[in-house]
Order: sequence, then structure tokens, then C-alpha cells
Amino acid sequence: MLPQKRPHPDSKSKPPPLPEAEQKIYTSIKSKQSMGIWTADIKRETGLPNTVVTKALKSLQNKNLIKDVVNVHNRAKKMFMAVEFEPSREISGGSWYTDGKLDTELINALKRVCLRYIAEHKVTTMEEISRSIEASRVLNVPCSMQQLLEIVRTLVLDKEIEEFRSKGAGEFARVPSGKTCYRISRGKVGTEAGYLASVPCGVCPRISECTPDGVISPKTCVYYNKWLNLDF
Amino acid sequence: MISQDGVNLAVCVITAHFGDLVAKVCSCLLKRGSLSLQEIVRTTEFSNSQVKNCLLVLIQHNCVQAFSVPRGGAGGATKTVTQYMALFDNILHRMRFSKFLAIVKGDLGVQCETLLQGLLGYGRLTFDQLIVRATSKQSEGSSCNVDVLRKNFSKLVHGHYVERCPRPEPFIAPSEEAAPARKRSSKIIHFVLQFREEILSLEQQVVIAASLTDAERFSEIPNAGTDASVTEDKQDVTVGDKRKFESTELDEETEATISETEVLWRANFQKFVFCLKKKVCVAKVRSRKGLDAGVVLEAIIESSEQECNSIKASMDSILEKVRGKPDGISMTLELVRGILEDLDCSSHTEDCNVYYTIELQCITESCRKDEVESLILTKYGKEAFRIFGLLNRKGSPVETDQISDFTLVDKKVAQQVLYNLWKDDFLSMQKVSVEGTGQRRENFLWKLNKKSSWNLVLNHLYHAALNLNQKITHVAEQEHEALLSEEKLKHLKNSRMILQLSLLKLDDAIMIFHDF
Repeated sequence: MLPQKRPHPDSKSKPPPLPEAEQKIYTSIKSKQSMGIWTADIKRETGLPNTVVTKALKSLQNKNLIKDVVNVHNRAKKMFMAVEFEPSREISGGSWYTDGKLDTELINALKRVCLRYIAEHKVTTMEEISRSIEASRVLNVPCSMQQLLEIVRTLVLDKEIEEFRSKGAGEFARVPSGKTCYRISRGKVGTEAGYLASVPCGVCPRISECTPDGVISPKTCVYYNKWLNLDF
Repeated sequence: MISQDGVNLAVCVITAHFGDLVAKVCSCLLKRGSLSLQEIVRTTEFSNSQVKNCLLVLIQHNCVQAFSVPRGGAGGATKTVTQYMALFDNILHRMRFSKFLAIVKGDLGVQCETLLQGLLGYGRLTFDQLIVRATSKQSEGSSCNVDVLRKNFSKLVHGHYVERCPRPEPFIAPSEEAAPARKRSSKIIHFVLQFREEILSLEQQVVIAASLTDAERFSEIPNAGTDASVTEDKQDVTVGDKRKFESTELDEETEATISETEVLWRANFQKFVFCLKKKVCVAKVRSRKGLDAGVVLEAIIESSEQECNSIKASMDSILEKVRGKPDGISMTLELVRGILEDLDCSSHTEDCNVYYTIELQCITESCRKDEVESLILTKYGKEAFRIFGLLNRKGSPVETDQISDFTLVDKKVAQQVLYNLWKDDFLSMQKVSVEGTGQRRENFLWKLNKKSSWNLVLNHLYHAALNLNQKITHVAEQEHEALLSEEKLKHLKNSRMILQLSLLKLDDAIMIFHDF
């Protein structure tokens, strides 16, 4: 009988096979790829009892084969994914989410920086904003053009800035004709109280129950009395 | 179709001005549509004479229009029936008389304002009656110069602020084609207008049929006074010609007398609505694009004789008007041209002149959008404002996650905001099932239905205006209570003033959504 060769220390050693239950659960999780799977769905798919699933999931996590991820749509529920996959945008929420929470601090900081730059320049383009922010090194996190575009779009929706297509003349002279550019809004439209919003009825949560001689009426309205200081 | 909130506001206005009886008749017409005298009697349970008197008051004050329609009687005989139709717009205009008077005072002076006040107060008057009213208001010892009155009245007619009253009872004939049988429960019956081949509602048809032509509406009162040149001419004519001439002169005199004593005049609400529209558009453009833009917009509207949504004016006339204004005196041609382009005016050349056209509809639509967005911001918050703005721009259904990604609003917050907006009827929602990676998911698509949202806001405006009216009355009643301290009385008076000013401002918004 020939002596057995000792295995080479550098050669890849196959991991020990998983117990049946763990293998079943691991296959189920891996098949979902970057979408992941909830614990309840694992139990339903595999048909395994609760205790077995819980034990198996813990074991697989310890073996670094799976990881738990937060689903932005339902942070309370446990979701698992094979380690080689990154959560899809649908699960993670996108680049602005960390552990299922929107990074409002980063978003607000970027908004302030972009707004300051646009205010300093009469008319500006996306490329100019991006170059300027990069050059200023005011942020300690990398920020792509796409992310900055998303920030600028929210400033447009908030009516802090206006979006235009350059006419290539006048104040748009240095921007090629047809290119999208931005400037600070003239007049704070949309952030001033309109006619209806200026009276209590406009924002009243009970307006649908309000009738001339009803229990809730202009005569008895507490909001009116507060608005006019008539609480005497 | 007038909403219940609109009807309630109109009835409130009529009650305040004419009392409960007239208001009940008006309410009946607003809720049930056009009715005959007998139908009104049956519905209101008033006597014949009571209903007649109420209708007379409403017609006198231009709140109701009478018209005749043929109706099939027993045995196939057709008879003509008089029906009455409430004029919702004119009823609401009664809240705006102070604004109308301010317009005339600013444009033509105090004396014209006083004349208009008479017409607004009495609904419709002949020129003779206006003179009598003006004379009775003069103090003893001072005479009322009829020529001055006539001159001021002519200014009002020439400026289109007053018009001859429409036909009292036009006849509305149905088309030859099959018209649907009149149903008592339906409010609107459709007829085909012979000349225009459009399908108009009965209300629209009545208003058109009752209207006079512009030449008739604004035909001034001829001057019946003797003219020196006429007297000289008399000596040169032959006997036959002289008799003919005297007969013509008599006709003119008669015509003038008839014009003064029988032709009824009233305020031309169309003109006032246009003046207020111009004011709102100029204010909007001024706040959005600056003082200069406001000056140029005002100039383009004033330099055109049109009073419609599409205003066209030549560059020369615009420049003339601009330079006639204190803020426009130093504006260059280049600056004006730049502003006209910034206002999205289209231009074209005609007979070597450049003409610019502006669509006021775009500005008023922008006013409506701003009003709704401001309400959304105040009532639902910043995130809702952003989401609403996105859906308004998109115009098509957008999925929840997409909305959240685009607006950078947390997904849970976005879901809640969308649900709240949908619950309050600002948005429509559509459920879509999506299959993916073996899982079935339900996605929600959200869309802003502009027309119904704008109607919703208009109804809120009506409701708020009604509430303000009632609160004003309530505070006024409290002022008359005994044992009030001077401080409390002063406070109540200030409160009433705040409410009245708020109502005037709210009415501007009602006009933006309903009249402009």
C-alpha cells in the first residue's frame, strides 16, 4: 500500500458539506440573489420547523455564508442574503440609504453646498456645480454627478432654484444653447402662504364636517377664535 | 354644474343682500336649474305674488335671466313658457363691488365712481333715473350739472364699464334634430345652436341669446340738445327738405329721449373681471420676474384693445405704453424685447411691423398651480409639497419607489404622504401586481388629476368664503352685545376688519379658479 500523500497546504480545501437543513435553507437564500428573502418565506419554502430554521440561519451566519440585510420598506422584518450579493436598490433604497434609513444629514449638507454655489453664480450648469464641489473638497464623502443631479432636482422641486434651457444669449450667453442650466429662484413662490392657506378653513382638518349651523361651524370654531385671539 | 359649496356661498350672498325669501327662490333655481314660475311656486311653497316679487328683485339685480322655450301641451299644441335661470357668476360678483368701484375710481375719477355706485346699488337704471339719483344726493343750494353727468356717463360707456342691459326674455328654440326629452330631474338640457353648430348647455345658450352685439351694448346716448350748425342749415333748405329735416330731427330727439328714459344700463361685469385678471397677472409676473417684467406685461395688455386670453400688440404700441409709465420711461428697446421673450411671447411680422402675442392663460394657470402648492405645503408639509410638484410635472402615473427616489423623501414617509393626498382626493391611485424573482409584489401608481384637484380647491375656497361671511356676521352681532368693555369692542372691530380683508383676498383666489 502506497503511503497517502499529505494534502498541499496551499491547495483549495473544499468546505465540509452542510447539514441537510442548512443546505436547503442556504440554497433557498442563494436563489434569491440580490433580492434576499424574509425568514417567514424561508420557513414557507423549505417547510422546515421554526426552531430548525432559526438554528440553521445562525449557523450559516457564523460560517459567513449569509448575512442579514435591512429592507427599506420594512425595517422590522429580518431578511437574509448570500454574502456574495449586494442588496438591490429595491431592498437597500439606493445610495442615499444606510441600514434602511435615509441619510438626511448628508442630503441636507449637499443641498446647502449646491445652493450656495448656484447663488454665487448667475447661471450655472450641472458640470460646473460638480467640478466646483469636487475642487473645494468641502465634502469628505465621494459624490457622483448622478447623486448631485438628484440633489439639484430636489432643489428645483422645492422652488429654491429654477431650471432652464439656455438660449445662448443674454444672461445665458456663456452656456451653449439648449443646455440645461440653473439659477436661484426670483421670488419665493410656493413657500409664501397662498390665499386659502392664510385662513383657518384652508388647512382645517375638520372642514368636511363644518356646516353653517352644525356642531362644528364658523360660530363655534376654535381655530377662528385662536386666529383672531377671541378667546374671551 | 355648480357644486354644493358654490350654491351655499351664492345663497349666503343673496340672503345678506335681499333677505331670506329672495334667497330661497334663488336657492331653488341654483339647485334645480331653470324653472318656470309655477315650478318655483310648487318647490318653494310661496304664493304666486311672493315668487314674482322675488324674481323681479333678482332680475333687477342681474342675478336671474328670463327666457322663453316652447313646450308641448295637450293635444299636440305647442305653447311658449317663460323660465328663469339663476346667474351664478353675477351673484358672486356682488361680493366684489368694492373692487369694481376702485377700478373705476382709479381710471376715471370719483364722479364716475359715484355713477357706477348707483348702478351697482340698484342693479339697472335708465340714464334718467341716474340723474334723479345724483340730483337727490346733492345738497341744497348746489345744482347737479346734467351735462357733466352725461359726460361722465359717456366715459363709463366708452370705457366699457357699463353696458345696455341684455334682452329681457330671449326665445330659445330647440334644434331640428332629435333633442332629448326634457327631464324634470336633469339640470342641463343640450341644444344645438343653429349658427355655430356647437353643443351648448341651455344656460350658455340663454346667455348668448340674451346678449346684444358689442355695438348695441356700448352704444352711447345720443345728444338731443340743439346744435348751432343745425340751425344754420335749416335756412338753406327747401320747404320739402325742411319738413323732412324737421322730421329727422324729431326722430333724433325722440331717440335721445327714449335712450335716456327707457334704455336700461348696468355694470359690465366682463370688463371688471378682465381688469382684475390683468391686475393679478401683472402682480404674478412682477413677483416672479421683477418690476420691469410687470411694466412690460401691463403695457402689452393696455396697448391691445382685446379683452381675451390671447393678447396681440405691435412693438411700437408696446414701447409707447412702456415709456408712458414712470417705471418704464428709461427702458431700452433691447430690454423690452428681452423681457417679451422671457415672458414667452410669440412674435411675427405683419406689414413690416413686429407683433407680439402673449397667452394670459399660462399666467393664470401658474397662479392656480401656486395656490394649490401653497395649500399642500401648509397643510401637508414640505415632503408633500415636493411630491406634489413632481407629480404635477410628470402628468402621468408614477410608482411609489420612483417618487421616493426622485424626491429624496424617505420611503415610509412618501407612502404616508401619498396616502394622505389620495384620501383627500388630490391624487388618484392605481394598484398594479408585478411578478419578479418568484415573488409577487403590489405596486402603487399615483397620478395628479389636475382638473379634479383644481375643482376641489375651488370648492374649499367657496366653503372658506362662506365661513368668513358667517364669522363676520357673528362678530358684528357680538359687537352689539351689551356690557362690553371698550377694549373688547375695539378688539372685535379689529377682528371684523381682518375677516373682511381676508374675504377680499380669498375672493381673488376664487376668481383665479373660476373667472379667469
